[in-house]
Amino acid sequence: MALLKVDDLKIHFPIHGGILNRKIDEVKAVDGVSFEVREGETYGLVGESGSGKTTTGKAVMGLNNITDGDIYFEDSHLNAKKGKKVDVRNDIQMIFQDPYSSLNPRKRVIDIVAEPIRNYEKLSKDEEKKRVQELLERVGISSDSIMKYPHEFSGGQRQRIGVARAIALNPKLIIADEPVSALDVSVQAQVLNFLQDIQKEMDLTLFFIAHDLGVIKHMCDRIGIMYQGRLVEEGLTEEIFNNPQHIYTKRLVAAIPDVDPRNREKHREFRAQIKEEYQQSFYDYFNEEGLAFNLKQITDTHKVALPERG
Amino acid sequence: MSNQQTEKVIEQKVEKSPSGLSIFWKEILRDKLALVSLLFLVLTTIAVFGVSILLDKDEIVRVDPFAIYEPPSELFLLGTDQGGRDIFGQLIIGTRNSLSVGILVTIMSGFIGIVFGVVSGYFGGHVDNVMMRIVDFFMVLPNIMIIIVFVTIVPKYSVMTFSLVMTAFLWMGIARLIRSRALQEKELDYVQASRTLGSSHMKIIFTQVLPNIMSLIVVTMTLNLAANIGIESGLSFLGFGFPQDTPSLGTLLSYATNPTTLEQRWWIWVPAAILILVLMLAVRNVGEALKRAADARQRRAS
Amino acid sequence: MWKFIVRRLIITLPQLLLLSLLVFFMASLMPGDAFTSQIDPSLSQDAIEEQRERLGLNDPWYQQYGRWVSGVAEGDFGTSTAHYRPVTDLIWERMINTIWLSLLSVIFIYAIGIPLGIISGRWNDRLVDQIITGYTYLGFATPIFIFALVVLFFFGFTLGWFPTGGSVASGLEPGSFEYIVSKLHHLLLPALSIALIGVVGTVQYLRSEIIDTKQKDFIITARAKGAPESRVYNRHIFRNSVLPIAAFFGYEITMLITGSVFVEQIFSYPGMGNLFIESILIRDFPVVTAVVLLFGLAAILGALLSDIILSIVDPRIRIK
Repeated sequence: MALLKVDDLKIHFPIHGGILNRKIDEVKAVDGVSFEVREGETYGLVGESGSGKTTTGKAVMGLNNITDGDIYFEDSHLNAKKGKKVDVRNDIQMIFQDPYSSLNPRKRVIDIVAEPIRNYEKLSKDEEKKRVQELLERVGISSDSIMKYPHEFSGGQRQRIGVARAIALNPKLIIADEPVSALDVSVQAQVLNFLQDIQKEMDLTLFFIAHDLGVIKHMCDRIGIMYQGRLVEEGLTEEIFNNPQHIYTKRLVAAIPDVDPRNREKHREFRAQIKEEYQQSFYDYFNEEGLAFNLKQITDTHKVALPERG
Repeated sequence: MSNQQTEKVIEQKVEKSPSGLSIFWKEILRDKLALVSLLFLVLTTIAVFGVSILLDKDEIVRVDPFAIYEPPSELFLLGTDQGGRDIFGQLIIGTRNSLSVGILVTIMSGFIGIVFGVVSGYFGGHVDNVMMRIVDFFMVLPNIMIIIVFVTIVPKYSVMTFSLVMTAFLWMGIARLIRSRALQEKELDYVQASRTLGSSHMKIIFTQVLPNIMSLIVVTMTLNLAANIGIESGLSFLGFGFPQDTPSLGTLLSYATNPTTLEQRWWIWVPAAILILVLMLAVRNVGEALKRAADARQRRAS
Repeated sequence: MWKFIVRRLIITLPQLLLLSLLVFFMASLMPGDAFTSQIDPSLSQDAIEEQRERLGLNDPWYQQYGRWVSGVAEGDFGTSTAHYRPVTDLIWERMINTIWLSLLSVIFIYAIGIPLGIISGRWNDRLVDQIITGYTYLGFATPIFIFALVVLFFFGFTLGWFPTGGSVASGLEPGSFEYIVSKLHHLLLPALSIALIGVVGTVQYLRSEIIDTKQKDFIITARAKGAPESRVYNRHIFRNSVLPIAAFFGYEITMLITGSVFVEQIFSYPGMGNLFIESILIRDFPVVTAVVLLFGLAAILGALLSDIILSIVDPRIRIK
């Protein structure tokens, strides 16, 4: 069952210019994206920088103005124009990319983690302190450190504090926007595994945004590949990695380095071959503007953006 | 092992982020000029407010035709003016009045400027555009003249209306400064994070953005205080400051527009001139030290 | 660049409108009748009311505003209540004096400020720089009226080198050589008072700009290529730092206006600032209104001018 449903989402940013500073053009950051995130799974959204994946995540969170399209969470319409806005913030939470700027440098850990609790629940000072300590223990940070400031922690620890803040309200869905790309490679795996543990423990659904296919392969059940604001392919992790259909996906997959040194030469040839195929067949897979076509179902779970032809 | 642990504890102690106040204090202790200035300011304020309680204000402003233009003597420490009024007493009360209005105007204009600036910067876009055009407009105006006009036409003129008129035309500088910092601050992820955690815009502005630009606010307000003391004494000098019967440093200086006073009766205007100068310099010294401390703090917290 | 200039011009229009509204609002708060000044306050209440009706002072404000603005546009500022002369004539005499004073002040500001700034920036942290920085430190904190008083006290009274009031010695033939010399003689102290305080901003700007540019990569490159030090400064650093100074002229106008109000008062120099204070003391409100409007106009146009010059000199601000 779909927990989150995004239907034909479009987000365009206006470009101002000219003498009167009027809107003269727009950037189509997200241009007609539809997908579902099912309860309990980890859905990964992959794409290069500027492909619109973060914009999509922020739109679900209500941080961007949506140009067109609909977002449903459970049964509520998140961006309904009429009627009062549904506040699902205690059900959807977000983990940010940069653990340095996402924590207010002048606030103590207790104030950072307790912020959502103070907004949604009325707790006494002692209860609140206990809750924050529990949350910190849960993410693997000593509960003694509640009076510390963010700059006293390492990047990985800060990201854990970010997670503690995100799970404070027992959300159902967590949007993780490149949660490890700002971290040292040595701590990335740690944080990822810990995210998976938390997910299992709390029965969470994860909406995972990343550009690193290795990370995605490790984390996700299903994957959507984004290019220039549109989805080019979507399917189960195995389908995407073992049987990519779209040339863009093929190239992405081919770009993953092979750890076995004996295969290195073979792998390089394979990559060169894919690159050539990509250049030759670009216009078979993209329309005149260089955008992907609409997604077409090829199996029950697998969708690819291929042109309408025989 | 235990040795290592104690070392770790010590290291943490050092790491512990020092409070804003202690950094300010350290910077001032290091900068001797600022320390002297601060001491001077504190002592002057205490002395001026203390002595002016003891002084009989009516006695000082009472015209004494038998003591006109007395040079300094034991009876009149700094002589008397054209009404036979004691200059020293007027200096004390004048300093008190100038300081009070300076502080009052700084706080009121600071308040307006901060609210205006932070709203403009935080919301950005069209709101910011319109609000900043308003600031631009008020900033180019020859505000001293406009203040003078309002001072003369305002009904029921008093110290309070004077301060309000000054405030109305002196809030733009701080608004512009605060706005540019708020603009930078709101781009940081923690503001967005707060949105996702369910905090309202107002709550984010007042509990997240404002505390983080507090050091800028303190510095700007201090420097503004120096400027406002100067503006007040300038207006009083021209005769558009304090009401007639209320002495201020500027009114003492305005006696010097009489050429004979300027040339021959130095005791009337020189002390006031020196006092204004020293006050402004002292406030500025403290402000500059605070500024350096704030920059240092900015570097540490990230 | 053209786009920027046109956009800047479009912003100026609402500014002018706002200024006229503000001055109109001020004038309507003034006691009596600041616009036409044709009501004799000694008349009986009924007679005044009759007069007001006849002069259209009971019309809605926007009609009165419209009449006032169209009058102003034709150069009609009403009649002075104190001098019984058209305000325009009265201002005209004084305006010329103020323009001379401002012009001389600006010349002094650049003549003093640019060399000081360059010296201070080029030899920063040396003794010269410390002296100049000390001067700007004091100058920044000194209110102009105190400085002008001290200048008048020393050079006017104690030393007696300069006249202590007026704009020209009496009894000289206008246009004669002595007349011009006397004018300059009267102008010198007031203009120097404004300039020596007003110069602080220019010196500080130039100093920090030069110190900044010194460390830029293109300067290091020029040095690395073996360009002699004087060439590095003349060709690369000064050109970058001094040009924007020219553009600040317009922004200085607001400062000059404030300065002239104080300085003209202290030196009894018959200019607009002096006229302003005189008129407000005798409640000659038509004159006050006109002076404020003209000074406001000058300040707005000055800022416009500066922005335009700056956009020509410094391409960075065009992209905004």
